[in-house]
Amino acid sequence: MSIAIRTILPVVAAAGLLAGCATPPPKTNQAAYQAYEQQNDPLKPMNKAFYRFNDTLDTYVMKPIALGYIDVTTQGMREHVSDFMSNMKAPGQIVYFMAAGKPRDAGTMLVRFLVNSTVGIGGIFDPAGSLGYKPVYTDLGLTLAGYGVPAGPYLYLPLFGPSGARDATDIPASFILTPTAAAPPSTGLRIFGYSSTALNLVNTRAQLNGAISNIKATALDPYATFRSLYRQHRAAQLKTIDRRDIVTPPAWYPASVRARMKPREYGQQ
Amino acid sequence: MTAYFRRVLLGAFALLPALAVTPAAIAAAPAAPAAKQFIQDSGNKLVSIVNGPGSDSQKATNLRGLVNNIVAVDQIGKFVLGRYWRVATPDQRSEYMGLFHHLLAYNITTQIRAYHGVTFTVGQVQTGPEGEMVNTVVTRPGQTPAHVQWVVDEVGGAPKIVDVVVEGTSLRVTERSDYGSVISDNGGQVSALLEAMKKQLHKMQAG
Repeated sequence: MSIAIRTILPVVAAAGLLAGCATPPPKTNQAAYQAYEQQNDPLKPMNKAFYRFNDTLDTYVMKPIALGYIDVTTQGMREHVSDFMSNMKAPGQIVYFMAAGKPRDAGTMLVRFLVNSTVGIGGIFDPAGSLGYKPVYTDLGLTLAGYGVPAGPYLYLPLFGPSGARDATDIPASFILTPTAAAPPSTGLRIFGYSSTALNLVNTRAQLNGAISNIKATALDPYATFRSLYRQHRAAQLKTIDRRDIVTPPAWYPASVRARMKPREYGQQ
Repeated sequence: MTAYFRRVLLGAFALLPALAVTPAAIAAAPAAPAAKQFIQDSGNKLVSIVNGPGSDSQKATNLRGLVNNIVAVDQIGKFVLGRYWRVATPDQRSEYMGLFHHLLAYNITTQIRAYHGVTFTVGQVQTGPEGEMVNTVVTRPGQTPAHVQWVVDEVGGAPKIVDVVVEGTSLRVTERSDYGSVISDNGGQVSALLEAMKKQLHKMQAG
């Protein structure tokens, strides 16, 4: 994957220079200017070019592969693949949760990683979820958001899809924070890396198949629709993390005090 | 990266069928138990049509009738047009509303097969700024269960669905970005949106 990064980043930079920026409407046209600011998409020409690139790639490569994959797998199998991939990201997320000052979530993630990697056979199964340690999610973008870093302009990246100036930092960071990055390099590991990345791509595309066809069939402007969905979803993820961020009342506190400190049971949303 | 994107899209998936579902009209919100009962009843009707006997076209007709009953389509249409509602001429407004209803109907029709075997359970109700938010879990065979919130508000004296929120993404907000983008890409012309809607409608009628 690091090769992918090394090739993609210069391409992105070059294309950005070539495509240039969108021209904002004059400030005298207040309504149009506000709409432009609200879209927060100054790199729209470049983003749209990448959107078209991904769209073509998706139509002729990813979608046919995903459909074949759906044919030979069951929903259960696809979920186990997702679980396995999420488990690979757990160590990185523990770091992010700690960095964000969310020890409760970090603890949940740690238990999930330990239990699912062992009892769950390398993360293929999710026994931790049955024990009450429900999945939690974070990444570098959400951690930075917790520090008050604004989302920045919208970015649509080739292969990776919707992102933003802040959220895109997660892409290089998550490669460093995978368990396989810590192991000494070997051919076996490299093969595992490539095949798990490919499997993850195909599996994700398969899981999204209905949704993607739906948006493409019904949206007037799929690019804007994906942008809106991406942003709303990021906002919802942040809210979910904040909602879970409650104090743990010590066991020896009186019941009435404990009840006051615990407005919502952990895990409930 | 992919995990949250998946959620976004799974969310969108559940949203789109109910497509034009949201009004801007803020009236007195119905009480939580009433809203919950309303969603339970409406959901039961919906499921019985989708999973019931009859041809697809018959089901589509029934579904359209039901949607017009339980969803505040006009209010959602107005919300989706957003600030351009004020810019639009009366003729454009009525043409827009007509197209909006039509597109909704076609979107529903295309969804029926995908929703065969759907079941749902109603959970807690929260009071939100736009009305009562009824939580449901929608399960379809071969799909991961989706958390769907139905925003219920009182419109014209009866409870109606004014928005659908799937995994944190709101249907009417998404639609507004979609439609608004078509208008702003064409120099703020509402007529461009109407053209795009007509084109979309033709595409759906043909396919």
